[in-house]
Amino acid sequence: MLPLAAVSGCDGPDVLAAPPSPAPDVTVLRGAIAAEQLMITRYTTVLHQAGAAGGSAGSLAGALQPLLAEHRAHLAQLRSRLIVPAGSKASPATPHERAPAPVPPGVSASVAFLRTAEQDAATTMLERLHGASSSLAQLFASIGASEATHVPVLDAAAAQVAP
Amino acid sequence: MSSRVRPAPGTIQALQTALTAEHAAVYGYGVAGAYLTGSAQATAATSDWLAHQVARDHLEAVLRSLGAQPAAAAVAYQLPVPVRNPSQAVALAVLLEERIATAYLGLVALSNASIRDYGARQVQASALRAAAWRGDTVAFPGMTSAALARPRKQS
Repeated sequence: MLPLAAVSGCDGPDVLAAPPSPAPDVTVLRGAIAAEQLMITRYTTVLHQAGAAGGSAGSLAGALQPLLAEHRAHLAQLRSRLIVPAGSKASPATPHERAPAPVPPGVSASVAFLRTAEQDAATTMLERLHGASSSLAQLFASIGASEATHVPVLDAAAAQVAP
Repeated sequence: MSSRVRPAPGTIQALQTALTAEHAAVYGYGVAGAYLTGSAQATAATSDWLAHQVARDHLEAVLRSLGAQPAAAAVAYQLPVPVRNPSQAVALAVLLEERIATAYLGLVALSNASIRDYGARQVQASALRAAAWRGDTVAFPGMTSAALARPRKQS
């Protein structure tokens, strides 16, 4: 019996081979998506804390909600770029994505935590540029710039709720 | 980020586009600054004006290191918005920064790692200045609506 490729007369993909590995863009994109999901979770947690605390902390929503909306827009745009080859294996999560630091208790500490997270996210986006395709690198750069602009907003919010 | 190897196609053009935007920003901040006297905004306008001069000089040096003649500044520029008061001066600063961010995203699209990194850092710097002038943040600094609306399959 002849191998299938010999019968068909071409060297097509081996359908019985192991699934292809995700392209580098897919791997880095998954990391960016996980980071945005984590950021959204953190904002949601802080907003719940602030709402429960009331007083000046309750007014934090006015500052934090627009930033949260921008993170949701980032996530939607990143997801729209994710095209996974059929049958490919899932890429492993990074250790950071497996064990993210929890939001600390207390509104003031949690806002400071968000500020650090935004600064780190902007820096990480710069690292993601290397090896990314041109269009994806532009998106990462733009999102990183957006996250950098969140830092001064959180500085102002921290001053608003300072003990 | 100088290099002696022949630059990849599109590198010189992207650098010249960014330089042209910086020339326009230096001119524009000169106009805007005249309407932002006696306030924290005047200080910010001066600081931003100087930042654009530094970026302009850097881009010129990079272009020369690549064997290209940097694009010269125009004698005068037609402002994209009329500027006759502080509010309009702020609007001009925001518009200049938005255009600068878009121009630097052109550098981010290049394959050269150091130019790409510089471009991304300049997008961040521009976004921070724009947000300070605008008093608000945006989700995608520098990205055009067309680029956001038509995601492309990654190569």
